[in-house]
Parts: sequence; structure tokens; C-alpha cells
Amino acid sequence: MKRLTNLTYLSVLILAVSLFSKPILASNIIELSMPSSNKVIIKLMFKNGSISDPEGKEGLTYATAQLVAGGGTDVLSFSDIQDKIYPMASNYGVSVDKEVTIFTFAVHQDFLDEFYPIVKGLILNPAFDEKDFKRLMDGQQNFVDQVVRASSDEEYSKKALEDLLFRGTNYQHLKQGKSDSVKSITLDDIKSHYSKVFTTGRLTIGIAGNYSAGFVKQLKHDMQSLPSNRMLEVAAGKAREPNGLQIEIISKKNAFGSAIFTGFPLDITRSSDDFVALMVANSWLGEHRKSYSRLYQKLREQRSMNYGDYSYIEWYENGGRNMLPLAGVPRSSNYMSLWIRPVQIAKQLKQQYEELKDIQVGHAHFALRMAVRELDLMVKKGMSQKDFEATRSFLRSYTKLYAQTPSDRLGYLMDSNFYGRQNFLAEADILMEKLTLEDVNNAIKKYFQVENMFVTIVTDESEVDALRKSLLNNTKSPMSYSNSLKKGLPESILKEDNDVASYHLNVKTVKIIQSEDTFK
Amino acid sequence: MNVKIISAAILSGAIALAGCSSTGEQQSTSSSNDVKENKILPYSIHQKRLANGLNVVTVPFDSPGTAAFYTVFRVGARDEVEEGVTGFAHFFEHMMFRGTDKYSKSEYSAVLKSTGASANANTSQDRTVYHMTGNVAKLETMFEIESDRFMNLKYSEHDFKTEAGAVKGEYTKNSASPYQQIRVKMQSTAFTKHTYQHTTMGFLKDIIDMPNQYEYSLEFKDRFYRPEYATVIVVGDVTAKQVNELAQKYFGNWEKGSFKSVVSVEPTQTETRYVHLKNGGIPPYMSLNYKGPAFDDRKIEMPALDVLSAVLFSRTSPLFKKLVLDERKARFIGGGAGDSRDPNLFGIQASLYKAEDMQYVKDEIDGAIAEFKTNGVDKQKLDNIKSNLKYRFAMGIDNPSSIANSLASYVQLTGDPEAINRLYAQYSRVTEDDLQMVIEKYFVPTGLTIATISGNENGGVK
Repeated sequence: MKRLTNLTYLSVLILAVSLFSKPILASNIIELSMPSSNKVIIKLMFKNGSISDPEGKEGLTYATAQLVAGGGTDVLSFSDIQDKIYPMASNYGVSVDKEVTIFTFAVHQDFLDEFYPIVKGLILNPAFDEKDFKRLMDGQQNFVDQVVRASSDEEYSKKALEDLLFRGTNYQHLKQGKSDSVKSITLDDIKSHYSKVFTTGRLTIGIAGNYSAGFVKQLKHDMQSLPSNRMLEVAAGKAREPNGLQIEIISKKNAFGSAIFTGFPLDITRSSDDFVALMVANSWLGEHRKSYSRLYQKLREQRSMNYGDYSYIEWYENGGRNMLPLAGVPRSSNYMSLWIRPVQIAKQLKQQYEELKDIQVGHAHFALRMAVRELDLMVKKGMSQKDFEATRSFLRSYTKLYAQTPSDRLGYLMDSNFYGRQNFLAEADILMEKLTLEDVNNAIKKYFQVENMFVTIVTDESEVDALRKSLLNNTKSPMSYSNSLKKGLPESILKEDNDVASYHLNVKTVKIIQSEDTFK
Repeated sequence: MNVKIISAAILSGAIALAGCSSTGEQQSTSSSNDVKENKILPYSIHQKRLANGLNVVTVPFDSPGTAAFYTVFRVGARDEVEEGVTGFAHFFEHMMFRGTDKYSKSEYSAVLKSTGASANANTSQDRTVYHMTGNVAKLETMFEIESDRFMNLKYSEHDFKTEAGAVKGEYTKNSASPYQQIRVKMQSTAFTKHTYQHTTMGFLKDIIDMPNQYEYSLEFKDRFYRPEYATVIVVGDVTAKQVNELAQKYFGNWEKGSFKSVVSVEPTQTETRYVHLKNGGIPPYMSLNYKGPAFDDRKIEMPALDVLSAVLFSRTSPLFKKLVLDERKARFIGGGAGDSRDPNLFGIQASLYKAEDMQYVKDEIDGAIAEFKTNGVDKQKLDNIKSNLKYRFAMGIDNPSSIANSLASYVQLTGDPEAINRLYAQYSRVTEDDLQMVIEKYFVPTGLTIATISGNENGGVK
């Protein structure tokens, strides 16, 4: 294995994807043959997702998918399956997002023949057992009643933002559903839903790894036994247009900080060639978990306000846990968002620093102003040639890391197919090579703005009233540093702080919502 | 990554150690025959110890154009032995991004960005890891910027205070989880002397005081950011020769230190301890934490506990089938021993539907342990577990980062990446007698700490 130059590296990776990987796109099958791999990955992507849930039965697609993956077959119980696959260390699971459901099966090549009847049984002849149904519905009910509000305030604020953006559409509800709708789901609902939306016409088969042509033929043939389409696909709901800044503050007992998300509709996806221009702009402003992005440097590195601050031009699955974007969550309905990780609240700051004993509001107002202002500055000034070159060069390498494992590579190819592309990562690289600064700055002006946004803030009950008042009145919000930190801050930071503290946010409404009333 | 996601060895293998060179450097390589026939990792592990004590590990792997570059420091929360400075190993991980004379903070960021790598760091009880995965053509740049900051990190007192705020921000985001809150309480109850009594984040009072500990931070760097504490691991489209030359060029002048942590030994626990968090907002939760052994790949105890955890708590265990699948008393149940350098805990976790079932679930867990003592496990089940361990590992090592991460775990625990191969060899040798020995030794009420979360005032579990 010889060392490669930078240019060669890029070429090799493109080749690796386009030649070695040999993605084959038939009508509904995507192949990624990797003869040196020791395993086989099968992905079955159904174009349904939570937008297919009937009204009043929100969470039904999720429940259905869970019961298929977490139940048995016509000949094996869930427990029998676990016993059978344990020595193989095979694994499988299902993910449900807004527009797709994906079953993923992974097996070592030594056991493919032994494992496949289980794949076939689960998908074609799911047991839909009453006991499995009750067990899985208990878990789903727990999630919508408790877990979603109690585990992570930042995930909570992100989901609350989606609820606000898509209110009144089929994109609004959590994929797990709502408290009342989950209670209403019956086993018959699930059986009926499975036959309606888990159908041949909605299925794309993906396979990666070390498999034979005969196996693919068999898999494809078997999946034809699924019911044919019985229901038209529903259109994905679009994000509402906000009127000014419309803010919802979620009041929670014993929250330790203020977790903030803000966003607005974005009428572009990976399907469009313009998307890569926004990828460059977004990376410069707020690349996920990267210290060299603008938001991170301003809020965290210079002012130590929180753990990090990022921006997004599409859904990013579980950003708190993932460093790189996961495949398997393609969406046709899109929005731009800013993620401000929990900042300090007044109650905590008062306890920690004598000099801050009189403050009324913590850092949330200042942080929101600073993040929106950075976006505003980007819209007004655009990127510089130097920043454009550095960011484009970074992304052309970095995006290669998105799909390192056979499963990830297959996942990205299947997502590409969803967006009407063959291989998005390879195509994005070519598009980025041709991209100019002008393209990026035009895209920024066309798609980004700061006047109309939805904002959600999950915070402690002690913070909500003062924060609401401060936001609604556009009250000046000076950054409240400890004396110890403040004395070392350079003049440039203090001057910028002063500008930020009185930066005008176009706030129109600020509502306070009790935590127990969210997602209803 | 869970350090228990590893494998089972088919056969044990002798470690091929090459002789010492005249410079005091040592090299070892597992031969391709060892690899193919004896060891769980199907790739050669090349090791070279530089004269200053830095261990350099290379694993060539077929990932065209890509390599993972990991640096493991065997320093973690365990080494925070002084009063008032818990959380410092983690804090120091943050400080490592704050610049040197050669590269200021912003210059470092720009160079890092130019590598196009996925880079980050993390800290646990026993170690701190800095990692990058990216374009192998940038490998020399990775060596240069990593060696520069490890050897020449320089930060002002103001930068130090600023970074302390980011650590508090991290604590703030983590604190939203009741599971994290109970873990903090549980560790400080289970341990009274040993530094495992605090989590990696540290106690909140110490985090608030961090900005005042600038002088201590310099001392901390001087103690631990030394070559004898570090191992460089490179996995991917590289050769050992190439990696060793770069290591010598960029780390060869790193001055060796002399500090050794003296960590207090935890006194023997004499009765069951209890800790409870009142929170009715999440499903009731219980964890049973037994004092267990330290990791040692040359003894059978830890491998036996890993196998035992699969017997008792995996999805195929009678307990899981009864409580989760049949009776629906538990939403989830699981258990396993934490691998660590000093004796730590074997934890069993259960998430329930109803708080009133806590005692029942606890009794069922006790019953499963008693049942095992009486009836043991059949050979087929034992073989199935060993097969699972082996194939799980084999399926997991499909990219440079996952291999480097696995090796980093064993470097952390023993200083030697070959420990991974020895551990899996041990798994293949585990017998039912070994399982009975560890269950008798460690699953005793006097070594137990019970942690609970529910809406009640007390846990109410005996």
C-alpha cells in the first residue's frame, strides 16, 4: 500500500466508490459488491415513514416496523430467533423516519444461508403476536409519555422545533406518535397498515458485502411476495413560513441550562446541484462538532458559553451522539437550523458567582442573538475567497469519511437513490470541484435569512418569565461573565459583545409552554 | 465504543517479541502466521518503543487512502488523586486544543481543517484519547500537529479560564439525563477512597472552581503528557516503516518524565449500600453494582465475568425472556463488568414499567444468580456465547477507526495492544468452573451498591 498524494487520494476514493463498489441500480435494487468483506448487509427501505400514519393513529408506522423487527415469524417466536442468531452474532433492526422505514440485517458470510430464512420470515410472514404487540406498545407509550422529555434537553428542543415548524402537517408529530394516538393503536391497525404501506412498490432493496449473484436473485424474487401497492403515497408536509421570530419557551422543572434550536424552511435538498454550495456555506458557519466553524469559535471558544454551536441544512440524526452524519434519514421536506447547546441559566449563575447575584436572565438571549447575528453577517457579507477555498477543500476530504463501513456506504447509496441521484457523495465531490465563491454567496443570499424563524428553548421554570419578557421586548442582554473571566477578555470581544447585546431580533411572539403540554 | 465489543480467540498464541536495539528501542510484530492461525485480530500488530518510552503501534489495513491516527494517554479520572481537582484529566483534554508557540489556537484549527480529518478526543476513568481519521496523504501533518501540541502546549491563564466554561457547558448538557445523575451518586457511594468515586466530568464544585486552578494545570501537564504515558496507534493504508519513521521524527525528542500516580486502594466493602434519586418523570430504574476485579488479560477472572454476563443477562438468557418478554415487568435488562485498571464494578441495569415491581425484579435477578450456582450452564450455551464473542468482533472491525478504537482500549488497560489477542484466547478457555468461581467470589451482598430512580421518596429495594 503506497503513500498517495492528496490529488491521488481523492481520485482513488472516487474510484473506490465508482469502480470497486460497483453500485448497481436496477429498478428497485442497489448493489455494493465487496468480495473482500466477511459479511453481508441487507437493507430494505420502504417509502412510507411517519408521514404515512393515519390521522389519530400517529405512531402507527413506527409501531408496525417495531413489531416486525421485534416480533417473530410464522414458524419462530422472537425468542426462538434470538436463540438461533446469537452464536452467529448476526443482528438486525429497523429505523423509522419521516419518509422512510429501513430494516437492516447484518450477518457474517459463514451464516448467510442459515440467517436468510429469518430475514424472509420476518418480512414476508411476520407473526404479529399479541404478546409482542403489548410489550412493544408499552415501550412506545413510555417514550411519548416520559422519555422524550426527560433524557436530553437538547434533543427535546430539537424535536420541539420540528413540532413548531411543521405544525398542522403530517411532518409534525414524533415518529413514535402522541400520547393519545399510541394508546389507540390496535394489533389489527398494525396488520392492516403493514399490508398497505410495506409493499413492493414502496420497496428499495439494498445489499452490500460478500454475496453471490444467485443470492441477490433469490432475495429480489422473494420480496416480490410482499403485497402490491394498495394506498397512494402521501405528500410530505412542508415547513410553515414563520412570521418574524416565533418563539416557544418550554418550561421544565429542574433544568440545569437553556437548550436552544432555531430554524426556517429551506426549499432545497440533495436533489439539487445548488445544495453543495449551501454545504460549503453551512460548514463554514457551523459544521457539526467542528471547532473551526464560526459559531463554535464565537460562542464556545471565545466566550465559553456552552459545549458547542452548529448549523444544519438538513436533518442530522442524534447529533449529540454522532460525529458524522448517518445515512438512512432522507427527507424531501427540508429546513435550516441552528443548534445552541445548553447555556447557563440565571439561577445557576447567581449561585456560582457573587458578582452575578442580580441578573434576571441567563445566557440564552445573548446566545440566540449572537448565533442569529453570525448568520446575518454571512448573509450580508458572504464568504471570503480564502474561507471558501479552505472550507471546500476540507469538505471534499471530510465527506469521504461519511461512508466508511459497508453498511454506511450502502446507506448513502440508497439515500442517493431517494434523492434521484446515483452516488451523492461522489457527485458532490465533482460539483464542489467546479464550485465558485460566487455560486456559494449567491446560494447564501437565495436561501438564508434571519427575519423569519421559529425558535424553541427548553429551560428551567425559574428562567421562563424573565426570558420571555427579555425576548419579547428586545431588551438589551449584556453577556454576564464572571469577574475572573471578564478581566482577561480583549477589547475586541467586549466591543463585539456590546453590539450583540443590542442586536435586534425580529421577535413577534413568545409563548411559554409547560413541558407536560408538548407534543400533544 | 463499548470495550466489551471485542471477540473470542480460537487459539492462544505466543507473543512474538523481537530483541532490543542498541538505542534502547524495542520492536515486536505478530507474524502473519500468528495472525491467521492464532489471533482474533486478523491483522499484524507492529510495535516499536522509542528510546523515550513512547510506544508506536501500526496496523496496516486495506482502506485505500485513509488512516486512523490515535494517541492514547494512560491518564484519566483515576489519576485525579488530590482533593478539589476532580475532572482535570477531562479538562486537560479540552486544553489540548488551545495552541502552541508554533501554532496558535486559530492556526491549529486552520491546519486541522486542512487535513479534512474527522478529529476529536475523549476521556474516561483510565485514559485520554486523541483521534483523527482522514486522508493518509496528510499523515505527516497529523504527526506534526499532534506531537507539537502534546510536547509544546502553551496557553494563557485567560484561555484556561475560558475553556473551563466549556467544561461547565458540557456538564450542563449531561446533567439533563437522570441516568447520568444517578451514576454520579452511585459511584460516590460505591467508592469511598478510590478515585473511581467520581465520574470523568468531576464533581460540580470542582468544575466551578476550575478557573482558579491554572497552576495545577501546568503541574498536570508536566506529570502526564510524557512519552511513557502515551501510545501512538496508526491503522489503515500505511506501513510500519513509514509510521515508525514519522514517530521518530516528530516524537523522538519528547522528554521522558518520572511521575507515577499513587491511587488509594478502596477498602473492602462490608455491607450493601443504597442510593436513590427521586424522579417520577422517567420509567423507574434500578442498577445493582457489585465490586469486581481489575482487568487482567492474563487471568481468567474478567473473561469469565464477561461470559457470565452473557449467560445471565443477554437476550437469550432465561432472565431476559422472563422479565422482558413474558412477564413484561422490565423494559430492558442488561449487565456486565467494566474493564478498568483497578478493581471496579459489575453492573446490572433494569428499566421497569412500575416502581412497585422493583423488589420483584431484584428478587428475580438474585434467583437467576442462585439458579446458576445450583444448575450451572450447559456446554452448548457456553459454546454459543464464545461463538458470539468471536463473530461479533469479526463483524465490527470493518474500518480503521473501529480497529484503532479497539486497540486503544487494551492499550489503556495494559499498555500492550496484544492484550486483545490474549483476552480472546482466554475467552476460548473459560469453563463452567471458572464461571462458578467468579459468581461465588463477586456476587455477594457485602460488595453490592443498589441505585434506584423512581417517583418515590426511597428506592425500597432490599
